[in-house]
Amino acid sequence: MVFIPQAGSFTRVFDTLSSILIINVDYSLMPFSQYLRLIDVMARMALRADATKFFLGYIWWVLEPLLFVAVFYFVFSVILGSREPDFIIFLMVGKLTYVWFAKSVTQASTSIVASKGLVGQIDVPKTLFPMSVIQEGLYKQASVFMLLFIVLLGTGYPITATWWYLIPLMLVNYLMIVACGFIGACLVSMVRDFQPLITLGMIFLMFTSGIFWDIRELGDPHKTELLLAANPLAFLLDAYRQILMHETPPDMPHLLMLGAGFGALVCLMVLAMRRYSQFLALKALTA
Amino acid sequence: MSVSNHQVMLSLDKVSLSYHTGRKTFDHGVHRVLDEVSMDLYEGETLGIMGRNGVGKTTMLRLMAGILAPTRGKVVIQPGKKAALLSLGLGFKPELSGRDNALLAAMLQGSSLEQATTFLDSIAEFSELGESFDAPVKNYSAGMRSRLGFTTALMTHVDILLVDEVLSVGDAHFRGKAQEAMKNRIMGGQTVVFVSHMADQVAKLCNRVIWLDQGKIVDQGDAVEVTDAYSASVVEERKIAAAKKLLR
Repeated sequence: MVFIPQAGSFTRVFDTLSSILIINVDYSLMPFSQYLRLIDVMARMALRADATKFFLGYIWWVLEPLLFVAVFYFVFSVILGSREPDFIIFLMVGKLTYVWFAKSVTQASTSIVASKGLVGQIDVPKTLFPMSVIQEGLYKQASVFMLLFIVLLGTGYPITATWWYLIPLMLVNYLMIVACGFIGACLVSMVRDFQPLITLGMIFLMFTSGIFWDIRELGDPHKTELLLAANPLAFLLDAYRQILMHETPPDMPHLLMLGAGFGALVCLMVLAMRRYSQFLALKALTA
Repeated sequence: MSVSNHQVMLSLDKVSLSYHTGRKTFDHGVHRVLDEVSMDLYEGETLGIMGRNGVGKTTMLRLMAGILAPTRGKVVIQPGKKAALLSLGLGFKPELSGRDNALLAAMLQGSSLEQATTFLDSIAEFSELGESFDAPVKNYSAGMRSRLGFTTALMTHVDILLVDEVLSVGDAHFRGKAQEAMKNRIMGGQTVVFVSHMADQVAKLCNRVIWLDQGKIVDQGDAVEVTDAYSASVVEERKIAAAKKLLR
């Protein structure tokens, strides 16, 4: 007999898995398809509400990251006189991917607490709140990446077969955002004091991930290697640049290892957030 | 309606709920909301929960709906049955329109996008919001919010309906309409738990009443008897407070 996966089979496998791993799991039953639909609907609604709030509406999706780049360009190229060739492209690739990560994780971290009203009214999977925020970021990032690719083509960077490596790279990048977003959301729900710490952590990452300086030009190869190994974000940003600017495939074993690590972390967080759904609700409501 | 021959839908068995506030204002920073509360809810009955503000009524509903878990004790619900909280403004997202909020609420309660979309027209009609239905909820008055909240929740079909103070707001016209809709639900055999601090409303709608104070059950039984006792205690308390004021 051939096993044909049906709609919901993934959730069934997941439910069985979680009931084996954790005894007495008690959570609201929501079909996986409904869960995905809700993430999409919530993200779209938030985007629409966001757009109506500002005079420039949807233009802000690309304008905001571009302004970030402009500020950095002014400081590092005009004032400090960086000699990196094609500094603006170098900066765009780094900064635009960093902003995706930082904004998504920061917003996901406060998402459960911000949805206190809903959390107190209905028993839904708590991952729904960070996921809808991350989905919102994903839709925005799609247009940002489009803009980046247009700029790359416009400045003479060709589309090559190496670009295929963007698919696993973006996937790992996404898993990293989800894993960090889930952890952040739990931490902030339990102790609000984590919120400023996460913001601070993002600034730390901004300075240590090689956004406006080249991680390969540190002068000490040992240091470069250490930084790429210790800071997954630095590795991912560098991989984007290698693919888009230098037609070089990323270090695949390293990338796969990161993917497996963050994937496992996501699964673990989903299970934990199901198991402690009511505890998180109490914390979000009372802290 | 006699409830003894109906089966138990949901029961609380010595349920306590307490949490750490982080600030040492209560008992070593631990705030006790409910203290060993036991009760049964029977199929088809309308149970009222009465008590002043902050005695744990909403927490009790949240435990029944599975939103919170008890610190000690057990909440047992009949297998396959679902309880949902009908409460003012299902955690509205203020920047979204009433339409979006209603859609989201219906979907969160388990409706598919298509089902939820078909609800929208009847929600718009019953809530009498008119063109405001497409305006952001942040621009709504309190009455408009409560109308939207009640109507949205009314559309959801659950085995146990938990109603939190929703009938006490809005203008007289809508309040009457909401009470009527609630009565229809009750007549239709819906199991309802109804939270309120308005004694006359509880006496009118409920078969049985639980009186809650300081996280404990003071009294439970026939709706009229318990609400009378509750009203008497409120009057008594007011008299004592007035006497204390005079003595000062």
